[in-house]
Parts: sequence; C-alpha cells; structure tokens
Amino acid sequence: MAKQEFSPRILGFLCNWCCYAAADSAGVSRYQYPPNLRTIRVMCTGRLDPAFVFRGFAEGADGIFTGG
Amino acid sequence: MLDTKKVGSVMIVGGGVTGMQAALDLADSGYYVYLVEKSGAIGGAMAQLDKTFPTNDCSL
Amino acid sequence: MEAGRSPNIEILSNTDFLELSGKPGNFTAKLRRRPRYIDADKCTACGMCTQYCPRHLVDSYNEGLAVTRPIHIDYPQAVPASYFIDPEQCLHLKHGTCKICVPVCRAKAIDFSQQPEDISLKVGAVIMSPGFGRVPDEALSKYGYGKHPDVLTSLEFERLLCASGPFEGELLRLSDCKHPKKIAFIQCVGSRDLTCGNGYCSSVCCMYAIKEAMVAKEHEPELEITIYYMDMRTQGKGFDAARTRAEAKGIKFVRARVADVMPWNEQLKLTYSTLEGGHLFEPFDMVVLSVGLDAPADARKLAEIGGFELNNYDFCQTGGFTPLLTSRPGVVVAGAFQGPKDIPESVTQSSGAAGIAAALIKQDRGKGVVIKSYPAEQPPAEDEEIRIGVFVCHCGVNIASVVDVPEVDRYVEGMEGVVYHAQSLYSCSQDAQEVIKQKIKEHNLNRVVIAACSPRTHEPLFQETLKDAGLNRCLIEMVNIRDQCSWVHANEPEAATQKAEDLVRMGVAKSRHSKPLPEQTVPVTPRALVLGGGIAGMTAALNLADQGFETVLVEREKELGGHLRNLHATLSGEPFAKMLKQTAEQVKKHKLIKLLTESELVQVNGFVGNFNSVIKTTKGKKESESTIEHGVIVIATGGREYRPEKVLEQPVKYSAAILTQTDLEQRLAGSGKNRAPASVVMIQCAGSRGDDLAYCSKVCCNQAVKNALQIKAINPESQVVVLYRDLRTYGYAEDAYREAREKGVLFVPYGMTAKPAISAADKAPKVTYYDPLLREEVTLAPDLLVLSTGMVPEGTEELSRLLKVPVNEDKFFLEAHVKLRPVELPVSGVYLCGLAHSPKPVDEIIVQAQAAAAKAAIPLVKGKVTVEPTVSSVDPSLCIGCGICESLCPYQAIRITKDKDNKRKAETITASCKGCGICASHCPVFAISMGGFTDEQISAQIKAFGEATNKE
Repeated sequence: MAKQEFSPRILGFLCNWCCYAAADSAGVSRYQYPPNLRTIRVMCTGRLDPAFVFRGFAEGADGIFTGG
Repeated sequence: MLDTKKVGSVMIVGGGVTGMQAALDLADSGYYVYLVEKSGAIGGAMAQLDKTFPTNDCSL
Repeated sequence: MEAGRSPNIEILSNTDFLELSGKPGNFTAKLRRRPRYIDADKCTACGMCTQYCPRHLVDSYNEGLAVTRPIHIDYPQAVPASYFIDPEQCLHLKHGTCKICVPVCRAKAIDFSQQPEDISLKVGAVIMSPGFGRVPDEALSKYGYGKHPDVLTSLEFERLLCASGPFEGELLRLSDCKHPKKIAFIQCVGSRDLTCGNGYCSSVCCMYAIKEAMVAKEHEPELEITIYYMDMRTQGKGFDAARTRAEAKGIKFVRARVADVMPWNEQLKLTYSTLEGGHLFEPFDMVVLSVGLDAPADARKLAEIGGFELNNYDFCQTGGFTPLLTSRPGVVVAGAFQGPKDIPESVTQSSGAAGIAAALIKQDRGKGVVIKSYPAEQPPAEDEEIRIGVFVCHCGVNIASVVDVPEVDRYVEGMEGVVYHAQSLYSCSQDAQEVIKQKIKEHNLNRVVIAACSPRTHEPLFQETLKDAGLNRCLIEMVNIRDQCSWVHANEPEAATQKAEDLVRMGVAKSRHSKPLPEQTVPVTPRALVLGGGIAGMTAALNLADQGFETVLVEREKELGGHLRNLHATLSGEPFAKMLKQTAEQVKKHKLIKLLTESELVQVNGFVGNFNSVIKTTKGKKESESTIEHGVIVIATGGREYRPEKVLEQPVKYSAAILTQTDLEQRLAGSGKNRAPASVVMIQCAGSRGDDLAYCSKVCCNQAVKNALQIKAINPESQVVVLYRDLRTYGYAEDAYREAREKGVLFVPYGMTAKPAISAADKAPKVTYYDPLLREEVTLAPDLLVLSTGMVPEGTEELSRLLKVPVNEDKFFLEAHVKLRPVELPVSGVYLCGLAHSPKPVDEIIVQAQAAAAKAAIPLVKGKVTVEPTVSSVDPSLCIGCGICESLCPYQAIRITKDKDNKRKAETITASCKGCGICASHCPVFAISMGGFTDEQISAQIKAFGEATNKE
C-alpha cells in the first residue's frame, strides 16, 4: 500500500477586520501557502460560539483555525 | 443645440482617475456633475495599468 | 468605475470642450459631442460588430501591440459600456462602402446618421483634469525606439504584462515571440532632459519601473532585470520599502547614464557610462524605456479655451500656496495637468479640487441633484422557495489561470436551492452587472452568490446591483476565490480548484439561510473637529467653514502655524510668514470657526456622525474642559524636524557649526554677517532611509538645494558640497537642482558601503568621504556642517489609542487605502492630512488638507449615515435579561431595559453596534442573532465544509 502523506483539512474562522483582511493582502502580495484551509468569514472572532468549533471537528476537520 | 441648465452643477474636463474621483466627491457632496471626456470612454491612463505601486493592487 | 453608476454624474464622452464664458457661479460652456455611430442605450456590448468588421486597426488601448477594428470598445470594463466607430478608419464613413456591421448588430444599435451635437452647459465651477501627454518621439528614438521591436516604452511593457494585454499576460519579445531572459530599464527618458524640453522630473517613472520589474519577475522568476538610473526617486510613503523588496528579489540597480542601444546579434547592446567615468556595455533581450509624463498635447488649446495660464513646461500654472487654483477664478485644476504626479496624489487633488468647487457654489448645493431611487423590495413570503443564482468570475486570468472556472461552474449544478449558474469574465464590469440584474428578473432569483474576489472590496458594488434589481442587499454572498485562492495557490491548480469548489459550496449553504435586513440610518451632527492648527489644520478648517459647516479647531500651542513657523520660504522663494499670518487671520475672523488654542483632545466617544469629544484647555495654571459634539474629525497634528543624537553611526552635538537644514534656513534668513560662510558641507539622509528613521522624509533634498542656492545668492564664493544618496528633487524642483549645479554647488553621491565619516569636534567638524570621480577619499573641514535629518510625526501614538486608528511602523497614521482613499482612515468619520500622514512639502500639505476637508464634508452634507445592517438584534421573547451581553459588549452597544411588563430585556443600540457578535456567542438562550452571520448560516457553512471531508 502506498504511503499517503497526511494532508489535513483545516477549517478557519477569520475576523473580517484583521485576519480576513490579512489573508486578502497575502493574496495581493502573491504569498503562496498550502491549500488546506477552508474559511468562514465572521465580523469578529468574538462571534465564535464554542459550539462552532465542536461542530467543525464533528464534521471531520483535522484542525480549527481562528484568526482575529 | 442641447441646452442644459442645472443649478448647482460643476463641469469636469477629463475623465481619467482624477476627473472620476472629483466627480464622485462632488456628486456625494450634493452637486450635479458633467464629466466631459474627449475619447470614447472614461478611465484615462489608469485603465491601461495592470497593477499599482507599491502594493501591486489591481488598478481597475 | 463607480462614476458610471451615480445618477448625479453625466458622462459626456466623445466630447470636445470648445468655449467657456461667464464667471464663478455662472459659467457657460460650449461643447461638441462627436457621433459614436452607435446608440449607447441599445448597444449590449456583445462584440459581434468587431468580429465582422473587415478592417484592421492598431489597438491604442494596448499601446499598438495588438490589433482591433474601427468598430470597437477599448476594454471590457469601459464606461460607457458601448462600442464606438472610429470615423477616421471606418470604410463606410471614409469611402461610403461596407456597412457590414449594420445587419450584424442584433440590437440594431448602429446608426450612421448620427451627427455631431452642440451642447451648452450652465455650470457654477470648472475642474480641469485632462491628465498628461506623451513625450516627443525624439526622446525615445535615441534609444533605438521605433527601430528595434524589442525596445519598448514602459506603457507598452505594462500592456505586455497585463492579463488583458496582447499576449494575455505572457511576457514575449515582439521580434521573435521568445521569452526574454535579460531586460534593462532605462530611467529618465523624456524627463530631466533639456534636449527634449522637459527639464522637470516626472515623479512616477521610478515607481512604475520597480513595479513592472517586480511583476515581470513574478511572471518569470528566472528573469534578470537591471534598472539604469540617475537617482531612484522613491520618496513617497512606503516607496523606499518597495525598492528594498525589489533589491531583495534580485533586481539590479545601476547608477549610470545610458548612451545608446544598438542591435547586436539577436540581442540589444546597451552602452552606458557610470559615475566613475567608465564606459561599459551589456547585452539584453529587451529594453524598456521609462518614459516620463509630458503636458497634454492640447494643453495650449485648453488654456486658451479655459482662459488660464500655463507654466514654462505647458502644464497648468498654479501658486505655491494655492496649488489647485488656475489663474482664472472659478476654474480649478487637479491631477497630472497641474504637474506630473502619481495616482494617490492625483486622487488627493481630485478631492481637494472638488472641495474648492463645492465651497465656491455652496449656495446652490443640492439644487441640481437627482436622488437615486430603487425598485421597491419584495417582502419575502413566509414559505418562499429559495432560488439562488451563482456567478463564477474569471477575473480575466486572475482566477481562471489557476482555478478551473468552467469546472467550478459545473460543480454548482444541482446544489440545493441553486436554480441558475453562470461564468463571468469580469463580474464587476458594468455589462456583467446588467447581466446579473437581468438574470435575477428572468429566473426570479432571491439569493445571489458571487464567486470572485474579496467582499471587503467588492461587496458594496454587488449589494448595489441587488438593490437595483429589487432585492435586499443582504441577500448577496461573496465567495473569495481570488485573493484567498487563485492568487495564493498559483502553482497548485487542482488543489485550488477543489478549494474553490468547497468555498462555493459553503457560500451557497450560507446563502440558503440569508435573510433580508432592514436599512438603518442615524443623523449626523453637522460640525467638524480639526486637530492641529498648522497649515494643514487651518486649511482644512477654512475649507469646511467655507462649505458652510461649523468647525472647531484645536491647537496645542498658543500660536497657530505649527512646524512651518520654523521655515522661511518655498523653493521658488514664496515667504511663509506672510501667508501664515494671513491664513491665521482668516481663521480667527471666520464666523463658523471656533478656535481653541493651548488645548488638546483628551477623550473621544461615539462614532461617525455622532462624536462626543472632551477638549482640555490649559491657560497658564488655569485648566478647563469643554465637551464638543461633532460629526467628523480631521487629524492634522503635524510633525517636526528630527534631531537624532547619532548620525551615520556617529554621535553628533549640534552647535553653531553643526546644524540641521532648518537651523540653516533660519540662519540664512537672518542678517548675521557671516551667515553664508566660505565652505559648507551638507549630508543628506543623515538619520533617514535606514540610518535611524527607516523612511525617506521627502523634503530634505529640496530644502538642501534651496539652502545651497540661498548660500550662493548671499556669498557666490562659498563652496557648497552636498553628499547625497539619491537626490530627490522631483517635479519642478529639478530645475532648482540644475540651477544649483550650474552655480557651482558640488553634489557627490555616497553609498551605504562608503558612508561619509564625521569627526565631530563640535566647533570644527571634519567630514571624510569617498569621491567617485577622483576615486579617492577626501577630507574637508567646513565652516558649517549641515545635516538633513528628516521629519517625524508629533504625538501620533497617543492619538492612535484615543481614536482607535492605526499607525504604521514609522508612527505615521495609516490611511484606509493607499491609492484610492488616501485621506481617509479606516475608522469612518476620521480623516487625515499633513505631516501626520507622511513628510511632504507645503503645497502637497495644502492639497491634502483641502482633500481631507472635502471628504469630511460628505457626511455633513448628507446629514445622515447609513449603518451596516449586519448588527445584532435581540428576540425579546427569548431574552431572560441576564445581562451577560451588556457586560461583555466592547462598544456599549447593548443595554438592559425594562419592557412593558417590567421584565429585564436586552436591546441593541444599532448605531454603536459594530457587529462583532460577542453578545450572540455568549447568550445562554440564543436570543441574539447577528444580521448576515446567524447561527443557522455559520452552522450551514460548517456542515457544507464537512460534506467534502466525508466524501473522501
């Protein structure tokens, strides 16, 4: 059996004002990063109900990223 | 002759980025604007640019 | 491109300006509109006509690098989005034949019977913004331009690099369509060059050369790029940092003058001479000429029609303290026609000019405007079927070159709730907007998902589109497959496509739960607060007051005038003292300006439209506080000359013999007998550009040249040596630099590897430097050692905390958008000008202050601000009145009140709410819902995320 490299699926919650903006500027500057992250934009990470994190894991995320 | 009289209006000669921004600011401040451009479309030289310095943002 | 959508901007394209009569407040302008031969209202911009048009024509939008037809449109996002026929090229209009396009056009938009139309306009004020022209061909041909296809102008190179350009962004040589490996840029082509009549510096070429070099490197990382320059003039805010990045990327900068460019085998041979006097040559595959900006070709005609004067270079003549006024009252100028300049400065001038024009005709404000109306929104039925439309954007090649857009579009098919989906080349273009509106109606869509770029930049545009189509603007959902996908995964197209699909699926899932939200507005207190009574603050206050708004001007010191009080005159000799005195008197006399000196801001509460500030005034020992209610804030807190203790890594002691440029300026303005002694050495960038301050202070080179000329005027025998890194006398200041050299001032460059050494005996300083011409070290013992120490902002850090606005790493305030919103701060209602933004000369400060005032006036004029609907709301039937939300809210935007049954219930103060959602995430009974970010929406997104995970 071929050895498969672990490619985690990460779910991110990004604050509109800082982390989401930073992710946009990363794009503008063409910084390259691995394509494992799927993001949900929120107006502030204060919006994060802990339930969202549990739900993310329950839906199969290998990691949850919060940026704010 | 097309005769236009609008009280509280400003004419801007040149529809590049400078003229467009002035037009938007004036329209936002309660004035009617005539934006006069000699070519077929507004946009001027900036529309030809791909990216802008120093952040390399898209220029359109 | 927003200008095309405002109901109060009438675009008269294809129109010539012929005559201007009358006076301020009552001008009559005569115009002539040339026929397009196409009915703009009928044209759908489908492009069929261009395909059928039999005649080929050089495409000027692509700088002649591509072919178009006499019937065409310049570019897909053009406004108006209508094709036009070039009468000089059309076979029918020239020779009466052809007419193939007429039957081809399904919209029946082609109309050869159109005639030129004369238009007469009555206007209150005129703004001239005709832009710039092209430098004469002779300036280019000496570098082989026109003789060899691989010698390009910078604008041609820009088109080559652009995705919408002739090779769709692929970098190829025009001669053999091969990829070039070595490219040279030649700076100062048509600028700083008296042989073509352009003695000035064009002020933009250094920046765009670096930009183009960086973009080319991005296209092909192996590319070798060399920039041949005299001085790199990257003096603007953050510009030096970009140059450093370019160097780090391997772009070579060589200080040299290029003699000529000759064909050499398959390549081009570039001959150049360096400072040391060596003649060298180097082969390149492609040579790019960094062409300067000239006055518009029709400048003289425009000046004659408009009745205003031009300067000796045929740009518009303005005064040092009235940089936007032409010689004709009521005619204002902005942009490159005022003098060569870049986009942020042009845009700043636009706003400044708009403010001046607005003040001029303030009595007529609001009389001519049309209020835009939107179709009534259909209130959603309870059990309404969800009908989502998905548009996947190519963004030219920005998305489509990485993400497989057709594949993403196919992927959407069959998703729950999706009834329509399509691709779009540029979904932000005006024609694409029309398509979206049309599809909303055609398919009865009630939700729209746009997979394109960032909602942070483009959501307002699409919200507007929805409103036009009769939908609530909160029913849009944007999926960012450009900034956060195609751009950052450029080398992994498959993974990027998969990510785009996942993000779109998550967006659609969220969209299914989107709800319309009500529009809310709050009233604005029509009063402005201006912080700082220097030239910036005074100018801003006067402009706001002239526009009819009460303004409170707060100055920390006893006197108005700020840093400018330390200086004597401009480079062209206009004295500051008189102007400052006049301006201060105007401020004191103005009925609408309330002046508070010896005062400072100590507290700010509120938000745009409704600020509440506490000002502390200290007169001697007496302290008092006053509270001011106001709608906007203009920051003009200024800066001062920097006095570093160490210069070029050596400690210095300021004395009568070692002084700063400002000290010298004061000394020269005095009447001291030996104020211009026999020998003077000036050191530029002493403390700036990485020495102590990281940035370039923009003003020191001009000040050094000004003082050097002054010394020569007082004592022509004096020997003045200026040690510099790049002499940044941009714009017309180049003339003064040339004059100084002609008068015998010696300018000697130094590099970072051979910095001048100061032995700082404070009475008799000595300077040792390497002279590249002599190729040896020279030691001088001048009577005066003058240090150009740069500028620092004053007190920005405290103010940044008070107002919660950001400063950059150099402690200057950081504007909302460097290019397009240069005088606004990210916090709404707060505007910025003067030295607190970045170091700059006085004419630029005045323009910036006028621009800040014009922008600050906008909410005051409107009288109300619209609050984003994405705020929290409380369901009183669920709320148990626990008060957790009230205690947690960082903005005091939610409070506990008693309802009619005297029960405790939470209530949102909409105008203060920033939509952060802390209240919602902490509510124990889920009574608080966040508009646009409800629990259902986020849960649906998480679930949709999971669908792909489980699929694997």
